[in-house]
Amino acid sequence: MKPAAFDYHAPGTVEEAVALLAELGDDAKVLAGGQSLIPMLALRLTAFDHLVDVCRIPELQGVQQRDGGVRIGAAVRHAQVGTSPEVAAAAPLLTLATPLVGHFQIRNRGTLGGAIAHADPAAEYPAAALALDATMDIASPTGRRTLTAQEFFTDLWTTAMEPDEMLVGVTFPAWGGRSGFAVEEFARRHGDYAIAGAEVAVELDETDRVRRCAIGLVALGPTPERPREAEAELVGRPVSEIDPAEVGRLAMAGLTAVTSDGNGSADYRRRVGAAMVARAWTRAVADASTEGAA
Amino acid sequence: MSDVQVELTVNGQARTATVQPRLTLADFLREECRLTGTHLGCEHGVCGACTVLVDGEAVRSCLVFAVQAAGSEVTTVEGLGGPDGELSPVQAALRDCHGLQCGFCTPGFVVSITAFLRDNPRPTDQETREALSGTLCRCTGYQGILRAVQQAAGAETAR
Amino acid sequence: MTAAATGDGRVEAGGATRYAGTRIGRVEDPRLLTGRGTYVDDIRLPGMLHAVFVRSPVARGRILGIDASAALALPGVRHVFTAADLNPDVREQWHTSVGPKSPETPRPPLADTDVRFVGDPVALVLADDRYLAEDAAELVEVDYEQLPAVVDYTRAAQAQELVHEAHGSNVVGQLAGRPAATLADVFAGAAHVVTDTIHQQAHTAVPMEGRGMVVDYSASTGELTIHAATQAPHEIRLFCSRLLGLPEHRIRVLMRDTGGGFGQKVMVQRDEMALMLVARRAGAPVKWVEDRRENLLAAGMSRHEHADVSMAFDPDGLILAASIDFVSDCGAYPTPWPVGTSAAVGMLFPGPYRVPAASFTATTVYTNTAGRVAYRGPWQFETLAREVLLDNAAREMGMDPAELRRRNLLRTDELPFANPNGMTYDRITPLETFEQALEMLDYDAFRAEQARAREAGRYLGVGMSTYVEPSTPGYGSYATEAATIRIEPSGKVNVYIAGGSTGNSIETTVVQLTADVLGVAIEDVATIQGDTAVTGFGAGTAGSRSGSMTAGAVRDTATILRERMIAIAAHKLEAAPEDIELVRSRASVRGVPGASVTVAELAATAYFDPYSLPPGVPAGLEASARYTAETRSVWVNAAHVCTCEVDPVTGGVTLLRYIVSEDCGPMINPSVVEGQIAGGTVQGIGGALLEHLAYDEDGNPTATTFVDYLLPTATDVPVIEYGHIETMSGGPGGYKGVGEGGAIGAPPAVVNAVADALAPFGARITRLPLTPESLAALVPPEALR
Repeated sequence: MKPAAFDYHAPGTVEEAVALLAELGDDAKVLAGGQSLIPMLALRLTAFDHLVDVCRIPELQGVQQRDGGVRIGAAVRHAQVGTSPEVAAAAPLLTLATPLVGHFQIRNRGTLGGAIAHADPAAEYPAAALALDATMDIASPTGRRTLTAQEFFTDLWTTAMEPDEMLVGVTFPAWGGRSGFAVEEFARRHGDYAIAGAEVAVELDETDRVRRCAIGLVALGPTPERPREAEAELVGRPVSEIDPAEVGRLAMAGLTAVTSDGNGSADYRRRVGAAMVARAWTRAVADASTEGAA
Repeated sequence: MSDVQVELTVNGQARTATVQPRLTLADFLREECRLTGTHLGCEHGVCGACTVLVDGEAVRSCLVFAVQAAGSEVTTVEGLGGPDGELSPVQAALRDCHGLQCGFCTPGFVVSITAFLRDNPRPTDQETREALSGTLCRCTGYQGILRAVQQAAGAETAR
Repeated sequence: MTAAATGDGRVEAGGATRYAGTRIGRVEDPRLLTGRGTYVDDIRLPGMLHAVFVRSPVARGRILGIDASAALALPGVRHVFTAADLNPDVREQWHTSVGPKSPETPRPPLADTDVRFVGDPVALVLADDRYLAEDAAELVEVDYEQLPAVVDYTRAAQAQELVHEAHGSNVVGQLAGRPAATLADVFAGAAHVVTDTIHQQAHTAVPMEGRGMVVDYSASTGELTIHAATQAPHEIRLFCSRLLGLPEHRIRVLMRDTGGGFGQKVMVQRDEMALMLVARRAGAPVKWVEDRRENLLAAGMSRHEHADVSMAFDPDGLILAASIDFVSDCGAYPTPWPVGTSAAVGMLFPGPYRVPAASFTATTVYTNTAGRVAYRGPWQFETLAREVLLDNAAREMGMDPAELRRRNLLRTDELPFANPNGMTYDRITPLETFEQALEMLDYDAFRAEQARAREAGRYLGVGMSTYVEPSTPGYGSYATEAATIRIEPSGKVNVYIAGGSTGNSIETTVVQLTADVLGVAIEDVATIQGDTAVTGFGAGTAGSRSGSMTAGAVRDTATILRERMIAIAAHKLEAAPEDIELVRSRASVRGVPGASVTVAELAATAYFDPYSLPPGVPAGLEASARYTAETRSVWVNAAHVCTCEVDPVTGGVTLLRYIVSEDCGPMINPSVVEGQIAGGTVQGIGGALLEHLAYDEDGNPTATTFVDYLLPTATDVPVIEYGHIETMSGGPGGYKGVGEGGAIGAPPAVVNAVADALAPFGARITRLPLTPESLAALVPPEALR
């Protein structure tokens, strides 16, 4: 089980990297942490003549506070995301989601940018990016642009990036006030891709009404999903009058293309998804209420 | 396809080799360095038998190309015990607790547990189980390995 | 046993030092912990080529043509062999344990005209390195005519398509016991009859190291050296000798460390035959190391089977009769012929219960999937089916499942007991182990906790199972085991047994046993195993035989040397032989302080001063002996009790406690015994909850990676608690085999615990694995509100 041969490129700047991608076209693939790509190469499920290793580019490193949020370089490893105080302050949902990404040896190597660009709907970071309205900093040979997470994830393992584009960094806006966060997943084993999962952020006002909330759904469709209608129905309501089970049902109601495969039928995923949303909602609300007490 | 020159440090020794870019770090260690303690149990990043330390962090060496590790310090299971054959605290605890049987997965556990206890010297049972869950063992049912982590944690604390 | 452990782990018992019975640290460990083991993939020979198989991508088809020209054009690719090259060299293809007359499935090493499962080896590529060999394998063009495949084994017997056309049927064979019709009156007249059809999914051994072999042939000497990942080095040598027509003594098989086997590495399969055949044609040593995908594709399948089972009970819940109609999927190339082993399921179905009458049929069928191979407790379906049926019976009768078993389990005063299929159990403790396990749990307290939990909307369950297992087969090639012991001139000891480390700690076991019989310090004993050039024939690690058979071989051999040492010591010390005691490598005269001589001094005399030996004592301290089993099997039994919580929404199962009470006789090393039990139990847990070697309806395997084939991890298993009851077997030391039992007892204990947890929903579980989705389906959404 050995990968097919390829040429290796390790550009030192984003500009060099995107120039290479433009030049090599479909024969090239960005190599970040490699924790999803290398197994595919080893199994020869895919092959590329060129791999462009972006992990040595300085611009892709580091975690910085930015505009009250946090900007994470695309090559920042999961382990660094999980332990970063800046991330914990601005985007606690990401901190909570990190231990659920594979196992610690994978998190030592996998990158945030790689996970988001891979756009696996069963992965934790894409759903978190969608729930938190993250923005993606993208470079191409012709310049830079920014996409919202909503624009970025277009289909299964597919993003709005062009073949000569690469993800440079991701910015997560901060949630302030009385916010609470929780992640709930159900998987066959610890560390496996979830059968269904929910990443919930909720902010309460002084009267314990829902000021805003966001629900990222994992493994419930071809892309990470966000039940915006359900969120809208919850905003403004006193949190004590919201039945978590109702939140779960609402969150599932708008889903139209729930995954059905050997790991779970669509009906089963909806059942589990509703429960994960309900459980995450309960915990996120409790977390937000604690904020108020403090 | 062009070969690349790779320089890195393995168990404290500088290593230079010209390799194909597709050569995994695991095969670099096994074939170029002849350090066969790093085992290949799945070659797709699940079983954890090939785990080594790269710049101190435990990673699957089947999911790293040797060229990616250029400039790094790599530590394998051969580099964790004493040069005179003395077992490290983790190795000794695994022996005391019957934490290995066929031994094929063992190098991955030794390396992973070493890194885990360095970062979390007094883990709870749940933390230990989650940390071990990325390494597969087919012989022991994990019973002795779980006990060994607790014993090694105690030993580390006692120092 | 009254004993006190000393500082170095010895036991002082009755004045003599014994290592058996203690938790001596393993002698295998220092090398394995430091990365200094030697597995087959660690072998590297000058000029060695790397082999990769081209395997069939279709489940059933004809090979219309093979074009290897593109592969051979790659620089560094040395050979591409096909069936036409290798298969004509085949002389004989039979295993010693099976014999030449068994109606084995025809096994072309490489597929010749037909491919019969996805993964079927079609061609063998040899190249300078593994990467190149894989590149070349992709370039070998095989033209297949794809044919409809026989995938669903439950319909194989009726299928138009035949897996092996020459066989004329997809039914490999059928065996039966007493006809079911003769029990019809018993069932008709019973107060209660319970019936189920119970299904087990395909899953298998999945050792962490796949199979593998390095072959190294010397044309000038005609010698073939084979390094193998194996449980049976001598079987490999004999098989290879027959396959190639090479004299047995020209072949040497070596294995230092094997990364687990669990049955998969007992016999020689087609891929391994191809390696043996290629040895004389490659012009260089050749290494084949099976990768994980190949292992899950082609190393074999186990456990895929179902049965219609029934039991009849009297009004008090006493069993009146039991019947099983068993059907097993044997894939395309079962190894060995599976009909005989399938009958064991029927014969053992009554288990350790007072069953007065029983019937069985056992049917084996071919399909276009990976061939059936042995996996730890290959007949374990009898326990799964019986124990699940008993729990269902208890629920139907409104009886506690523990009480139902208690009323029917055999008591020691009823032994020996012949079950209705002619299996005579003896020296077992079914009721005692069962009661011990329930007591360790505190069964009544758990039932109370369960009731409280249910009121709070939480679903806890308890499951139990018991079994009786024939270990240590005492027939054919399994019936003997040899040891050679050399007390070297320095007094250090080497023990040579067939053995070989595959995870069963047999090196440690041998060292412990030898030190005890010889009366030498354990650090003075080493063992050499897994080399056919220096060890006597042994059938290998199979049938839970290594510990008990080796104990006999060591006892019989070491006793010869012990007597010789005592004679020499008595002569030197001018004492009577019966007054000599051997303790920690020193012979002393009992009651005479200072009158002693070391084993090193005895050895120096034996080797270097032969004329001062007492009359009749030969020079040297070397002996070989072969132990012959006294019985056809050594019975061993256990009870498993497991508790769990089931999330009724997700169907997720959390195991809470897991208790095994077993009777394997005295324990040579309790750590080793418990390690075997735990390993087998967790494999059984995996089989119940996670592992599935699945195929789609076209015969494409869908679990060929560790992402899809789910092994249990450290987060999936509870702490395993052990209870021991020690009943002496009739064999050496009273020991019994303990290698397989965990895997036999665990699946039904887990199934029964889950079913018990979901009993409030009326759940009845008859199909494995218990995926969360399948369990959630037992709890209708309306039941959750």
